[in-house]
Amino acid sequence: MRELRRVMCVEDDPDIRMILEFSLGVVGHYEVCLCPSGQAALAQAPTFKPDIVLLDVMMPDLTGPQTLAALRAQPGMTGVPVVFMTAKAMPDEVEELLQYGATGVMVKPFDPVKLPHDIRIYWEHGRGSGID
Amino acid sequence: MAAALTDGLSATARSQFVVLQQRFVAGLDARWAEIESAPDARVLQGALHRLAGSAASFGFERMGQCARSAELQATSGSGPALVLALASLHTEIELARSPASTE
Repeated sequence: MRELRRVMCVEDDPDIRMILEFSLGVVGHYEVCLCPSGQAALAQAPTFKPDIVLLDVMMPDLTGPQTLAALRAQPGMTGVPVVFMTAKAMPDEVEELLQYGATGVMVKPFDPVKLPHDIRIYWEHGRGSGID
Repeated sequence: MAAALTDGLSATARSQFVVLQQRFVAGLDARWAEIESAPDARVLQGALHRLAGSAASFGFERMGQCARSAELQATSGSGPALVLALASLHTEIELARSPASTE
């Protein structure tokens, strides 16, 4: 069975990228690819081959939903779980985000110690849910 | 302040977290300047939104709550309430900048 090893984080805020690297790399011992934009994620995904993607919603240029759509169009990315990260978590907004095809919606701020466990749950729930 | 957040981590990881906290605190001046000088409501909301989404992850839960409250006031266009919310946020930023906050 494939393990969860590689986590791609797409986030434009440098402070949040910093805490994601700590949480997932130092605490969770995952291999982490930090991308400051959707464009960077699209460029890195074919070589990094993430097992799961954490994707900020509100970003300049490509938004989270736009990045998700473009990632899904890449070979090998169709079934990779993608979890949106958002600081807005009204139920209707969460529902809208899930309709874009995300595995889940994670609310910021997150607990850096619990996050590695939380993304494993999303990964177990979401892997193979798409068609690849 | 962040002791509960890092309970269960190794001493090495805890000290790495403290370094990250200090970097976050060092950036608060720039964040506050962005909030103070925001030319319009959209930029102000964006700056408050980012702070609301990050502060608690660094152990500054009250700062995050104040930023969220100010963001809501900025969104609803409530002038006096926004001023009060920003004052509370500034107090939390000043507390975080005190040397004891990351010890």
